[in-house]
Amino acid sequence: MPAILTEQLTKHFPPDIRAVDGIDLSIAEGRIFAFLGQNGSGKTTTVRMLTTLLRPTSGRAQVDGLDVLSRAAEVRRRIGVALQEAALDDMQTGRELLHLQAKLYNVPSHGIRNRVDYLLQIVDLEDAADRLVKTYSGGMKRRLDLAAALVHQPRIIFLDEPTTGLDPLGREAIWHYVKQLNEREGVTFFLTTQYLEEADRLAHEVAIVDRGRIVAEGSPDELKASIGTDVVTVRVPGEDQNAARAAEVLARVDGASDVRALEDSVVVYIKDGSTAIPAIVLRLSEASIPMREVTLSRPTLDDVFLRMTGHHIEVDRPVGRPEPQRSE
Amino acid sequence: MATLVASYHLMIRALRESRRQPGVEIQNIFIPLFFLFVTVGAIGQISGSAFGVENYKGFQLPVAILQGTAGTAGMGGFGTVMDIERGYFDKLMLTPAPRLALVLGRLAADAVRVMILSTIIMLVGLVMGAGMEAGIAGAVVFVLIAGLFGLAYSGIGLSIALRTGSVQAAQAGFLVFFPLLFLSPAFAPKEVFSDWLEVLATLNPVTYVLEGLRSLVLDGWQWDKLAYALLSIAGLGAVTLSTTLLALRTRTA
Repeated sequence: MPAILTEQLTKHFPPDIRAVDGIDLSIAEGRIFAFLGQNGSGKTTTVRMLTTLLRPTSGRAQVDGLDVLSRAAEVRRRIGVALQEAALDDMQTGRELLHLQAKLYNVPSHGIRNRVDYLLQIVDLEDAADRLVKTYSGGMKRRLDLAAALVHQPRIIFLDEPTTGLDPLGREAIWHYVKQLNEREGVTFFLTTQYLEEADRLAHEVAIVDRGRIVAEGSPDELKASIGTDVVTVRVPGEDQNAARAAEVLARVDGASDVRALEDSVVVYIKDGSTAIPAIVLRLSEASIPMREVTLSRPTLDDVFLRMTGHHIEVDRPVGRPEPQRSE
Repeated sequence: MATLVASYHLMIRALRESRRQPGVEIQNIFIPLFFLFVTVGAIGQISGSAFGVENYKGFQLPVAILQGTAGTAGMGGFGTVMDIERGYFDKLMLTPAPRLALVLGRLAADAVRVMILSTIIMLVGLVMGAGMEAGIAGAVVFVLIAGLFGLAYSGIGLSIALRTGSVQAAQAGFLVFFPLLFLSPAFAPKEVFSDWLEVLATLNPVTYVLEGLRSLVLDGWQWDKLAYALLSIAGLGAVTLSTTLLALRTRTA
């Protein structure tokens, strides 16, 4: 039985927004599944339907074999959820928040103190446990939110953009906890992300979602291999429609399976890219199209994303931008 | 049972939140006391000759209590809006706690806050010389009625908060109280009102709550007035709790 199963899951918002448009998923137990897409692609809406916060317009979804509509209360008992932007109560301390969470999940009273202490320890918040959450940094809040999602030892955990806005250290910490829980305890993770690196490094399976539809699905390696070619990127000056002209020229190069024009570059998917580069440079020179840089690379998830959606993934905030400084 | 247990834990959490923001509570006590002093100072000397009320301090004490109650309970939606804005309300919705408990926990906390506030205002009133004809037991009933009214009244702010998720809209829970107060015998007995105002005051549930509380202060145990007060609160509570639960349902639509 899959841990998560959806069939033609759909959510429309009035007047005519198709936020999620017929999504089929089957996620096996014990896997880390990444739902990769940019803002507005339908990731959060999907999570909200799977976690019983939002009623689907049509289609069906099961979590741990339970229908999310008819058995919503049971689904809630079996899942842990950390929503986008660390949804916490600033006026409680970290310990109080976890304690309340445990009470609401009916964790036996005699075990709550130990469970809370254990969770604070695994997310490295023991020292800050008795401070109000409003004094926490973004990374600390994310870790507390993750601990809150774990309080009742769920077998399936949903993480909605768990590292958006975190600095590299904060991201590494969250990835570490996710991997640890998955490897040691076999917890299934459904995480949404707009970060290619996150999907690539963490997930066993990735689904690329664009405008409410899944456009590609598989393991990161499978997805990259599906490109079947090398990737040659030619940077050109952004003006005079250089990219569009270059794409037209390069589409005629032998072996080019696909060519995409972006604002100031052209991406050529081509077999044996190292031997094709001279021909590419020659064609562009003949067409008097100036070049700034030519690079050859193996396909990445970004290339898969570009190939499937026609555009690069746009993220909210550049990865690595420091979060507000607060002492831990 | 699960609903009661979860409501209790959520009530404790809401009360803890209030304890950590004492400024809000002080304001809810200060404003009604200010109006009590000013109104008694302005009208207290002539109330006997003008409309036959000798103990105007006692006449006004329930008004101050209801003002404080509306200030406290009317802001009940504010905490919920903050939870919605922070996303914490979703986190609570994701727990297996019964949805009713999410509402009852907040309402119960408001009722407790109102009872604490009412006790303080009542004690100030007693020091001023308002009196309490129904004695100590009457004072306890006085505070309990205020708490029940707070429970019913805070549903207004809460349902607006759940429906809109807006701070400004939730504050309307407090503003709604002013027409209700001024269309009741807050400053003079109903008998001296113009006909049209007397009709509106008779239709206004706040009138009966006020008269019930006032009877404890001025007359002693007037069972019919207390029964009308409780019926009015029950009616108001039925309406506000229903609208609150409907608003809660729309959040998952």
